[in-house]
Amino acid sequence: MQFGIFSVGDVTPDPTTGRTPTERERIKAMVAIALKAEEVGLDVFATGEHHNPPFVPSSPTTMLGYIAARTERLVLSTSTTLITTNDPVKIAEDFAMLQHLADGRVDLMMGRGNTGPVYPWFGQDIRQGINLAIENYALLHRLWREDVVDWEGKFRTPLQGFTSTPRPLDGVPPFVWHGSIRSPEIAEQAAYYGDGFFHNNIFWPADHTKRMIELYRTRYAHYGHGTPEQAIVGLGGQVFMRRNSQDAVREFRPYFDVAPVYGHGPSLEEFTAQTPLTVGSPQQVVEKTLSFREYAGDYQRQLFLMDHAGLPLKTVLEQLDLLGEEVVPVLRAEFAKNRPAEVPDAPTHGSLSAGAKAEEGAQA
Amino acid sequence: MKLVVVSAGLGVPSSTRLLGDRLAAASAARTPADVQVIEVRDLAVEIAHTFTNGFPGRALSEAFDTVAGADGLIAVTPVFSASYSGLFKSFFDALSGTDEDALAGKPVLIAATGGSARHSLVLDHALRPLFSHLKAVVVPTGVYAASEDWGAEGLDGRIERAAGELAALTAGAATARPRPRRDSFEEVTPFEERLAALRPAG
Repeated sequence: MQFGIFSVGDVTPDPTTGRTPTERERIKAMVAIALKAEEVGLDVFATGEHHNPPFVPSSPTTMLGYIAARTERLVLSTSTTLITTNDPVKIAEDFAMLQHLADGRVDLMMGRGNTGPVYPWFGQDIRQGINLAIENYALLHRLWREDVVDWEGKFRTPLQGFTSTPRPLDGVPPFVWHGSIRSPEIAEQAAYYGDGFFHNNIFWPADHTKRMIELYRTRYAHYGHGTPEQAIVGLGGQVFMRRNSQDAVREFRPYFDVAPVYGHGPSLEEFTAQTPLTVGSPQQVVEKTLSFREYAGDYQRQLFLMDHAGLPLKTVLEQLDLLGEEVVPVLRAEFAKNRPAEVPDAPTHGSLSAGAKAEEGAQA
Repeated sequence: MKLVVVSAGLGVPSSTRLLGDRLAAASAARTPADVQVIEVRDLAVEIAHTFTNGFPGRALSEAFDTVAGADGLIAVTPVFSASYSGLFKSFFDALSGTDEDALAGKPVLIAATGGSARHSLVLDHALRPLFSHLKAVVVPTGVYAASEDWGAEGLDGRIERAAGELAALTAGAATARPRPRRDSFEEVTPFEERLAALRPAG
């Protein structure tokens, strides 16, 4: 099972000091957080993609390429890559390039984006969000698998004899996750292709997450990729820890109370009762995270949101130390217990290359 | 027959609630009904949090289930600033945000209370379009009760007429209403169909 972090890349004032980091500081902080993730033994760093303030990560492969050069093992991913407003040709090129530079340590998560104005800025319409995700991904899927593509669709100019370069590393496309919180159509899409499905459950009650994942697993089996239990599932998580849980609550509350998305709403106590947010000791984080398995089944990837709401870099790095030293080793051991042998790990470039070679051997 | 009253009255006791109770009793007298009352006031905080969190809390979810399971709905609001109260509207905003077809095809009796008769057109200028938008079947007679109506002739007659119309519609709707829509998790459009719909013709 893979453990990692995902960042929204928000530039938010620290409510305890009133100080807002500069864009440069925030971008460099995201890099420092990614490097720390590898240092403390995490497996994955994923960055969001946004095209409006107060967010900085508009150019994910630039950032991930830089991080790739400074890391050895970390898998670089996205949360999410906008399959609706990006040109699928450019996604094919950018991520294949990144794959080569990072020696295969790359996957990506498709998402639609829910900010209405971003669509027209890129010549699109949010009302076509699902259709854009379907058509653009169908093209991207072909561009990585067919050397020469003739293509015509509804949303993009046609292609005649087009070859996306560079070709994927070793002829193996990056593994793709599809992220969606509320749209069964996207769970269906992930199932159809046998791709991964990531449910960013961090603001949602468990019963909703459970239904989305059950749908994906059922349809994954329907399309013949394996049993429902073999489908590739990822989940989010959101934690703030101190050794003493009362210290964690006291320190995080001012950030929670004014946080983007849920701030000025429910109390910290109500929100932690109803969603995956855990504010407390490392042991409490372990218990809450292990409980995800009760409704999601054995899954492959757990990403934590650690660096939002204006938390200073120093605090985030301390959080990552706790996560790497006291939480993830316990989670690895506990999640491995009673995990059926047929439940696969999350695909990596290594496992996908080996699979492709075995298939070639079988055909020869 | 399940009859549900959604009352947005704030006082205890509330004349809005009283009007809702009168309408429910008059309807149940024609067609025996199990009456449940939802006081929006009790759900005020969860309603607000639905907008900040994106999902309804437990008590509000139960209220939404109650509304969804009703054969007929009686919706009563006080008039604030020439319209329904903000909390009343927020309840239905949160409901339709959670399930946009919750009221589709459902008979709804609209009613309002106010300090004077000057705002009685709120029924036809505010409530009726709201429930038409939510695809409800709105009873032709709405009931408005100003303070002076509680001691005057006429209110009883309007209540009786509206209740009779609601009872007739719920009796008809119970057989005529389409099967409740199965939710989007149960009916998945096969992916090939979605792909095919996007393929250029020819």
